[in-house]
Amino acid sequence: MSPHGWGALADDATAAALVEAALDAVDGRVEHADVRLVEAEELRVYRQRGADVDERVEHTLGIGVRVLVDGVWGFAARPLADSADAVTAARRAHALAVAARGASEPVRLPELEVHSGRYETVVEQDPFAVAEHTRQALLSEALDAACVPREVVSAQVGVNAKRQHRHFGNSAGSRQHQHFLETGVLVLVLAAGHGDVQRRSYPNSFHGDTAAAGWEFALGRDLVANAARVGEEAVALLTAPVAPSGTADVVLGGQQMSLQIHESAGHALELDRILGDEVNFAGTSFIGVGDVGSLRYGSPAVTITSDPTVPGTRGSFAFDDEGTPARRRTLVGGGIVRDTLSTLDSSARAGLPLTGAARSDGWGCTPVCFATHVYLEPGTGTLDELCDRLGEGFYAEDNRSWSIDERRWDFQFGTEVAYEVRGGKRGRLLKNFSYGGTTPRFWGSVEAVADDLRIFGYPCGKGEPKQWGFLSHGAPSTLVRGVRIGVA
Amino acid sequence: MGFAAPVDPARATELLAAAVRGAAADHVEVALLARAGEYTRFAGERVHQPQDITEQQVVVRAVVDGHAARVATSALDRVPDAVRRATAIARDLGRSARGPGSAWTPENAISDDHLLWHEDTAAFDAPARVAIAAHAMASARQMGATAAGMVGRAVTQLAVASSTGALRHVVATEATGSLTVGDGDGSAHWANLHRSRDGLGLTPATVADVVARAVRTRGRKPLLDGVYTVVLGPEATGELLGFLGVLGFDGGLAEAGVGVATGPGRRVASELVTVADDASHPFGLPIPFDVSGTSKAVVPLLTAGLVGAAVGDRTGHAHVARESLPAPVAANVVMAPGTDHDLVAGVADGLYVERFWYTRLVDRQASTITGVSRDACFRIVDGTLAEPVRGARFTQSVFDLLTTVDGVGAELRAQPIMNVWNGSVTAPAIRAHGFRFGSR
Repeated sequence: MSPHGWGALADDATAAALVEAALDAVDGRVEHADVRLVEAEELRVYRQRGADVDERVEHTLGIGVRVLVDGVWGFAARPLADSADAVTAARRAHALAVAARGASEPVRLPELEVHSGRYETVVEQDPFAVAEHTRQALLSEALDAACVPREVVSAQVGVNAKRQHRHFGNSAGSRQHQHFLETGVLVLVLAAGHGDVQRRSYPNSFHGDTAAAGWEFALGRDLVANAARVGEEAVALLTAPVAPSGTADVVLGGQQMSLQIHESAGHALELDRILGDEVNFAGTSFIGVGDVGSLRYGSPAVTITSDPTVPGTRGSFAFDDEGTPARRRTLVGGGIVRDTLSTLDSSARAGLPLTGAARSDGWGCTPVCFATHVYLEPGTGTLDELCDRLGEGFYAEDNRSWSIDERRWDFQFGTEVAYEVRGGKRGRLLKNFSYGGTTPRFWGSVEAVADDLRIFGYPCGKGEPKQWGFLSHGAPSTLVRGVRIGVA
Repeated sequence: MGFAAPVDPARATELLAAAVRGAAADHVEVALLARAGEYTRFAGERVHQPQDITEQQVVVRAVVDGHAARVATSALDRVPDAVRRATAIARDLGRSARGPGSAWTPENAISDDHLLWHEDTAAFDAPARVAIAAHAMASARQMGATAAGMVGRAVTQLAVASSTGALRHVVATEATGSLTVGDGDGSAHWANLHRSRDGLGLTPATVADVVARAVRTRGRKPLLDGVYTVVLGPEATGELLGFLGVLGFDGGLAEAGVGVATGPGRRVASELVTVADDASHPFGLPIPFDVSGTSKAVVPLLTAGLVGAAVGDRTGHAHVARESLPAPVAANVVMAPGTDHDLVAGVADGLYVERFWYTRLVDRQASTITGVSRDACFRIVDGTLAEPVRGARFTQSVFDLLTTVDGVGAELRAQPIMNVWNGSVTAPAIRAHGFRFGSR
């Protein structure tokens, strides 16, 4: 069976009937309505030192309906058993919008174009078709490899996979069906000794790494060898010297840079934040609407792109959750802010282009601005060449601590590992490396970007009630001059 | 459709009991987790995200030969399939394993039904919530500021049936409120969480207080790096206490020999600091049992500053995280209030911190975290609030600070624990010393 043939919502006709039922329930009473039907199944298998395997499969099927009545939004969502649930959700969304009418400044959407189509993640091997013993053998071998050093006191390895049908329909006439498949892996090790505890992770310190791909993604990560490596490195960190404090030139690896992009570029360029919609929880942005097109955000070496049309990432799609077609946008070009991550509502209010960044966790969450696949455009040269250009300084990689203020201005990060760089060559391993700064100054100090672009899938939290966004960031190794280090 | 449990209680318990009866596993637990929530979110002079969200998930945990697997579904008619699938996966795990597993099966035969219901919360409907939002926005506007926030009501439902004979059910109301008032320069914040809307305390007086504090923070100056005596508001204190789990009180860490809970009886805080995981406390989100149906015990984390015990599966703290391993978590953290009604009065030179933001663990051994202060923060001079100061970055050891606490406020406020179902931290204001703002 095709990996895309799974599920109750694989059939377009079934989904179409439910979408029409919801839209019909509010037809003639709203300025705009959109409906999302989502069926998702997620598989997670974890092995942990000293514990039994933990395996779980989670299936969910539901509907979210959003309406605009006299310029006021309403959103309702519920699990979906039949068309009655679709009608109920639509009516409740309408009732909420009506209740809020007197208290709200109305928003006016432009006339929407109709966009219909299908999209499927390209996979070589369906992760859900992989035999149980195959998954277990991989995880067992990786866990054993990670736990070879006796100082390793805790180790986790895991694989995850998710498949989901997303059907979208709106009152303008768009009808879309996207089937996403993703696969991920995780290794996380804690070593203890010499009065210290240190952690190492692979391939991403952030809940592992997940991509829009099949089982081939897991096989391509060389999990066993890398589990052994991070186990040994966690132990080595226990006796490594503490990284110094001061000001230094630094090469940051792709994983650390991907989180730097997430926190200080992706979030800062979300237009709903810029407009103040998230001030009560997630915060705002130091970037203003009037800054688009003129604000110097970074050095000329910094070009940051949003491009969900890049295949294979956790931020890849053909249509966002408002039905806007995916498109490549330059967010920061040559160091200047050029665009934002926007939704229908935010772009209409700000008078800025619609960039198709409305994302939602699932059927139960209203779409908000989330990053898509947002990445730092690569430069030229290898990591070694970048270190050679660095000369004297540090190479740091793999995030272990992160914090940034509510305006995405002042940040502080720590990394799992760092190395001295002397005469352009990597030397001693250092622990507890940290650096801090302010966003424009940091990005303004980027001197060069290597060509070793790597892509990482992330979960992200935003909204009230909090929802998760799933997205990706790509980053090459990056040389930054004059960074404050040892700040933690 | 009114304000009620997402799944009819009789149907819920029948469904779960039937699923357990039909299971072919050595042991099975079937849990229904559901919530029907309505949220009025406002910002920028509008109710921008009114939401009505009903969610439900039935989670089946099947154990075969000591190996456990979970299968969850949002579709109630698929529960029997979920039981069969979980059983099959558990059986497959056994075939792949080197021997029998050691999955814990609660010896629980309790059958009970709890109703933590507050009519005032039930009455907190969309017009009532919109009225509060409109009042907050108008009050802020009159002072040249803007208001943003969220007010909501929800019904939480948890039911668990197991092959050991447990059949437990609880329905609980939930009232939430948060408010930020600012004008781009100054700002102030308020948040609380309670089963009762009246217990929430979101009144016109609360709104007026937040607006007044926001106005008072206009013209705030940068905070100089340094070490300060601080009065932390309840939200700031709660944020610090939210780290107790990852510092060692979450059971998995203690079992690995990592963290502070490996040294019970050790002093890590002043004798004024008593913190427990107490799901029977009226503040926050009390709930009588966990997703395994295990009754939630009161677990003393810190008693008069001395390390107590970690939470675990056996204390009723089982937790299945969204993107990580299942692990027990401290989910109902409550710090005992003191008797001080004016902690600021006792400070000659210091700092009042309303809340923290984006705090993250830096060093588990040293209990060091980093983050920034946010919203209404003031210098304290001669026992009174003086000039407002901007948010600033800090890197601080949690236990180093708790060791210096010499005053505890009388008012409690609660806030959610992110990514923990029914999770909350309830805390008073505290006064402490040696808090470092700026780089080391």
